[in-house]
Amino acid sequence: MSDTGGQPLGRALLGHADAAYAYALRLTRRPSDADDLVQESFARALAGAAGFRGGSLKAWLFRIVRNTYIDLHHRGAPAPEAEPPDIIDDGPLFQDDLELDRLRRVVAEDIEAALRELTEDARSIILFDLEGFTETEVAGLMGCAVGTVKSRLARARALLRGKLQEYVR
Amino acid sequence: MDCRDARPLLADHAAGKLDEVRTAALDAHLQGCADCRRLAASEDALNAALARMPRPQAPARLTARLEDMVAAAEKPPRAPRRSPFRASTWLAPFASACVAAALVVVVTRAMTPAGPGPGALVNEAVNDHLRVVTSTHPIEIESGGIHQVKPWFTGRLEFAPRVTFSGDDDFPLQGGSIGYFVDRKAAVFQFKRRLHAITLLVFPAGGLAWPSGQTKQVGRLAISESVSRGFSILLWQDDSLGYALVSDVNIHDLETLAGKLNEP
Repeated sequence: MSDTGGQPLGRALLGHADAAYAYALRLTRRPSDADDLVQESFARALAGAAGFRGGSLKAWLFRIVRNTYIDLHHRGAPAPEAEPPDIIDDGPLFQDDLELDRLRRVVAEDIEAALRELTEDARSIILFDLEGFTETEVAGLMGCAVGTVKSRLARARALLRGKLQEYVR
Repeated sequence: MDCRDARPLLADHAAGKLDEVRTAALDAHLQGCADCRRLAASEDALNAALARMPRPQAPARLTARLEDMVAAAEKPPRAPRRSPFRASTWLAPFASACVAAALVVVVTRAMTPAGPGPGALVNEAVNDHLRVVTSTHPIEIESGGIHQVKPWFTGRLEFAPRVTFSGDDDFPLQGGSIGYFVDRKAAVFQFKRRLHAITLLVFPAGGLAWPSGQTKQVGRLAISESVSRGFSILLWQDDSLGYALVSDVNIHDLETLAGKLNEP
């Protein structure tokens, strides 16, 4: 069952343009590059509409945005790191209540800056979780096994907490 | 439940995704484990911080472009024009009469430009560009330079497109394909400017109502410049050929490319 709501696929894609742009902006970090990325992703999505097999249209579009980003920006880059072991590194614990309190008051700019310091893999999985994608959808988006999504996400969040510690000390 | 079991559940616990049984087991563990409690608190704090991030919206200009792309993709592809006449003896007299009538029309229409108006040429150029960028196979001949792309058109068009610019680092040539401009075949060249696609259409110029307003002199040519639906469009004639250059890059970038295309 697709979620185009009975609309033509192109029209239904437009309903996810804001979400795709927000993700693209956090991938590319520059509005002009995010514009290009979303536009190129829509062109690919429209050209490959026959490849949409139903399910979450938003997840399908996000996968195209991510693949397009990797195509355009990471061509020739080293292969992504191997599947992490299914062991969660909890990352640094916040040392006291004062640090926790600071974390609670971290401003949006600090979070954005800390996210920017993460690898694309870690950043994407955190953003996909934030978008409310299911574990199965995240596995499709990340190209990993469903069983490893939780550990990848926990690892990425631990990395983000670690980066944020540097902001709140 | 020990720490090893508890910690993978903390993020889901913070997000309220755990069922009652696991929530109760985790809560019991947290009561007796200060480290996990601290980690749970930091998960909560992280969720709250992530929820505070703003959600940027797509700029209006981008949304307009995406809407144009969707509209262009919804249009049925234009079928190649074919002659309605087949060699058939009983049709011959009828065909002759039609040809004679058509000749009268052609002669009459040749007195004035017969094609659509200047605004329609701009609109057609944008639509053709959108058709190219949303096409599954926008490039039929990959570029190995203009000397590879140009000969590919031989036999596919009734004219030879005059393009000598091979592309450079600023405007790499991607390749070419056959398209249509209004009612005639066109050579389609694809260039890039950073991540932006640029379409150059070359077609016979006769019979079209070319823009007669203000033009800008670029090199030896008078070029008509327009902006429509977020795209920049340059139109010009050189001898018997018409040229349309379309992209979402700014118009100065297109002028630079037009200058390079018209270098002797």
